[in-house]
Amino acid sequence: MAKSQPGAVMSAREHNRNRGRQRGREALRGYLFLTPWLIGIGCFVCYPIFYSIYISFHKVSVAKDGSGLAYEWIGWGNYSYSFLKDNIFPIEMLSFLRELLFIVPITVIFSLLVAVMLNQKFRGRMFFRMIFFLPVIFATGEVLTELFSQGQGSIPFGEQYDIEGFIYGMFSPGIAGTILSVISRFIIILWSSGIQIIIFLAAFQTIPKSTFEAARIDGVTPWESFWKITFPVIVPFIVLNLIYTLVDQATSPFNPIIEHIMNNMSDVETGYGYASALGWIYCAVTIVPILVLARFTKQTNREKR
Amino acid sequence: MRTVKSQSQFTQKPSEQEDTQPGMLNRFRDYLIRKHIPERVRVAVIGRQVNDGLLFKALLVIILISIAVLYVKPLLYMMSTSVKTLPDLLDTSIQWIPRQFEWLNYGKAIDGLKYWRSLGITAFIALSAAVLQTIACGVTGYAFARLYIPGKKIWFAIVILTFLIPQQTLVIPLYVTYVKLGWLNTVLPFIVPAIVAQGIKGSLFIIIFRQFFSTLPKELEESARMDGAGAIRTFWKIMIPLSRPALLIVFLFSFVWHWNDYFEPALYLKGADFYPLSLSLQHLQSNLNYLSGSSSGLTNVVVDVNEPIKMAAAFLIILPPLVLYLFAQRYFVEGIERTGIVE
Repeated sequence: MAKSQPGAVMSAREHNRNRGRQRGREALRGYLFLTPWLIGIGCFVCYPIFYSIYISFHKVSVAKDGSGLAYEWIGWGNYSYSFLKDNIFPIEMLSFLRELLFIVPITVIFSLLVAVMLNQKFRGRMFFRMIFFLPVIFATGEVLTELFSQGQGSIPFGEQYDIEGFIYGMFSPGIAGTILSVISRFIIILWSSGIQIIIFLAAFQTIPKSTFEAARIDGVTPWESFWKITFPVIVPFIVLNLIYTLVDQATSPFNPIIEHIMNNMSDVETGYGYASALGWIYCAVTIVPILVLARFTKQTNREKR
Repeated sequence: MRTVKSQSQFTQKPSEQEDTQPGMLNRFRDYLIRKHIPERVRVAVIGRQVNDGLLFKALLVIILISIAVLYVKPLLYMMSTSVKTLPDLLDTSIQWIPRQFEWLNYGKAIDGLKYWRSLGITAFIALSAAVLQTIACGVTGYAFARLYIPGKKIWFAIVILTFLIPQQTLVIPLYVTYVKLGWLNTVLPFIVPAIVAQGIKGSLFIIIFRQFFSTLPKELEESARMDGAGAIRTFWKIMIPLSRPALLIVFLFSFVWHWNDYFEPALYLKGADFYPLSLSLQHLQSNLNYLSGSSSGLTNVVVDVNEPIKMAAAFLIILPPLVLYLFAQRYFVEGIERTGIVE
């Protein structure tokens, strides 16, 4: 462009310089808005991460003179201890993963079903929406454990039909135990699907109504239009919900592993160092499936384009 | 000519559709036709499509009601148990409605929880943290959605990463740091992270705001800039008023999650002389023992915290967010659709 008009060379350079300056100013403005978050990420994420990695390779104890903490380098000691000597952690971890295998799909499928139903037009659907979002209010609190200890977490007809005996007859003891523990918390699992329902409902709104009308005029039944129109649109949201559910379950303070980590934290024998190492193992184990899922979404998105 | 043709197509359509409906419904329709039920009634009952007849809707409502009952049952159990007397609790013939309402349970629960004091503390923590977190995450989300930031992709990847790392992994170093800073047993560990867009699910809120702001038209800012408004003014005068639904939702979530938060208070407020409601359930027994011990003097009557009192206490704890939800639920439910949280 500039070559064809000799007189414009200067102005183009000037223009570039101006643009550069403007960009610089814009970048400054952008970082101004980002400042609080950058401080936060530095103080409350990066620093703890490095510190936590650091102490996970140490044996941390209270210094003999009581002035603070004493660190003793033990390399991978904490990590190997968790797998070789700790007789709770690997077992808890395995049973937690096995439960996840049930809980995550149940939550997502259930929330999809409820969202589809709530998306229909009928009188009182606002009322139902209110009820289904209700657990968001108190499903996260201590009250939940209280209800859980009352046996209010299980499905009411579980005991009546001797489901326990039935399941032990059907599966090997390991799997049966997992299934039963899932059943005993079934309602609580359903309770944690509030956000997922919201995400699905919002996802349905992204499909223009005219698409369905057009399909309908062409004689497509609602059943078909769900599978041919709605479903392809919400596939990424299903993955999103899978990820959300995984994160939600993994970070829930009521899961036994977190409890175990906390117990080790206050234990004099093991202390902060070992608890940090456990935290990192746990983090690694939960992040792997999430990354796999995230990769999967990326791939499906690319295929769409 | 053309219109006539398309009309004839239209009249044909319903008969084609009838074939695609499930067999059961078809048989039912044939039955209705045989009984000479007028077409209007027939359409109303079965509908032109599977999902708009009365029959379908009735089925839908029945399914939803049964799931809703499963959902609400624990809550109802809580409410009904909280007004039971002990004999009523043990009587298996009484399921839901007790023979007499024992409101004294609530009195005991209020004493045991030190309710008003705890309520004030919880409200203070939850409110201030939620407000600060909403503002901070709003600003950050706006920056991610709209402003020119070199290396934005990397920063945003970090946001997502912080969402994935369990907060519990980072809790030990934070705890040690708070001890050093002398923040333990104060409210600072809840407030300060909120100011800098961290705290409970801070990264989720940033993602929500980013999604929301990226749906607003770009022309808004351009015209504001034409009129000479700076970035901060544009944000404050144009973006904030427009983002009310998103602000409300994030605030509600943040408030409720801070209110219910158990894990962090249990760690950071272990030795405090005050505790939020989420912790107070644990102190119920000891508080009641203490109260009864001091009042009855010689005879050290231990008030056994029974189920009804515990349930009354639990209900008192969730009552404030519940009330808030009942008032805000309309905005909550509608707002979620309008914010375009997902896209």
